[in-house]
Amino acid sequence: MNVVRAWIEERLGLRAVTAFLEKKEVPRHKHTFLYYTGSSILLFLGIQIFTGVLLAFYYQPTLAEANASVVRIMTEMPLGWLVRSVHSWSATFMIALVFVHLLGIAFTKAYRKPREATWLTGVLLMGLSLAFGFTGYLLPWDELSLAATKVGTNLPKALPVIGTWLTQVMRAGEDVTGDTLSRFFTVHVSVLPLAVLAILGMHLFLVQRHGMSVPLEEERRKVKGPVLPFWPNFAFREAGVWLVLLGLLLTIAVLSAPGIGPQADLMAPAPEGIQPEWYFLFMFQTLKLFPARVLGLNGELVAVLIMMAGMAALLLLPFIDNRPFERKGKVITLLAWAGLAYALGMSIWSLL
Amino acid sequence: MKLPSSLFSRRAFLNGLIGGWLAALGAAFIGPLLKYIVPPTREPDQVSVPLEEFKDLAPHTVKGFSWGNKPGLLKKTEEGEYIAFVGVCTHLDCNVAFVAEQRRFYCACHEGWYDENGLNVAGPPPAPLRRLAVSIEGDALIIKKRV
Repeated sequence: MNVVRAWIEERLGLRAVTAFLEKKEVPRHKHTFLYYTGSSILLFLGIQIFTGVLLAFYYQPTLAEANASVVRIMTEMPLGWLVRSVHSWSATFMIALVFVHLLGIAFTKAYRKPREATWLTGVLLMGLSLAFGFTGYLLPWDELSLAATKVGTNLPKALPVIGTWLTQVMRAGEDVTGDTLSRFFTVHVSVLPLAVLAILGMHLFLVQRHGMSVPLEEERRKVKGPVLPFWPNFAFREAGVWLVLLGLLLTIAVLSAPGIGPQADLMAPAPEGIQPEWYFLFMFQTLKLFPARVLGLNGELVAVLIMMAGMAALLLLPFIDNRPFERKGKVITLLAWAGLAYALGMSIWSLL
Repeated sequence: MKLPSSLFSRRAFLNGLIGGWLAALGAAFIGPLLKYIVPPTREPDQVSVPLEEFKDLAPHTVKGFSWGNKPGLLKKTEEGEYIAFVGVCTHLDCNVAFVAEQRRFYCACHEGWYDENGLNVAGPPPAPLRRLAVSIEGDALIIKKRV
């Protein structure tokens, strides 16, 4: 055994990595639970990749076959309904955890110097997660997914200069057609996964490079607070969290498998009661309420510009909030709470 | 005039030159790529539908036809004239439905309403439905883009 280990070590030099993990420590304080959110996202990402590959074995991204092949997966393939259900629910779990992860970091201001780059890669990863959700929603190719995709891909059109072109890039042409479906499939199963792996690599590297951030009140205490060794203590606890989440996921997936609507018809009117996935509801409600014209401008353009400004502010938060614990930082915290309340309120309103 | 010393070091000059070449090379690759990812648009200049199918349309009712990839809606007026719309909401591109009882067009996506002449009357739509020109030629209805 030792011979094999020595042979591997001579060639890979993994000692540096294991030595790092051996002395890695996780601080203990009342916000320690936030540290579990990151690794739980990884769990669900793994499940997404695994079940996604399984779905792609039978899914056919064409106008004629897309809807039918999903129906076939659900009705004919052994346990196919469960694979699709887990993929769909795990997406929801993952995005919910991404939000919790982000909010936990935002409100403990863990993005403060020197972790700005970690935050940037994190927000990009959230954007990619949402893009996964958006592209995946079209693939079953039913009435709802067609209407949602038409709206979503039409939004950039409101932007000046590049808007129309952006919409055409997303749709593969003027309209949502079979070409849109193959484009969304390719992006969903190949472009986004590659992008996620690259940025995730950077994100994880940066987290290790800087070590776990601790909340300010801990940082201000001059003495070092209690810590937990990462290996094996913290990893063991993480395994417990993973098991609970996995049980929860499977239970919900079995009890509440998603259905599928009638095949999308490019000529049919939009169906009643269309709704995007839950994480886009607040945007959906905003668009519904926005008047056609605001201060003489196209209302849609104003809505899209406000959303883009919001996204830019989120991405650049560590640079905007550069004095996190002074007056300015407190104002920003209040604004963040207001933004969160807005998103929650709008989402709930759209469900009423 | 002869300068006492060069404004550029040789290295800065060569770096700029090579950088410029690389940028031009990159642009030469990216240009065609950007062209490739947007296929040519396929909106028709005109479509022709058999008059037979639309002859018996009652006033204030609507029947669909294909305007390229988009739904077209053909309506007969009280006077027996045909008017045609692109049946796509001007708000965010969802297909609209004609609600016969109310003589209005309705978009389910964000609750937009148009009157029977395609005028946006309620909800978020910023503009009327797009009109198309209709003419009868022999036993066909010719529907064209309005100029």
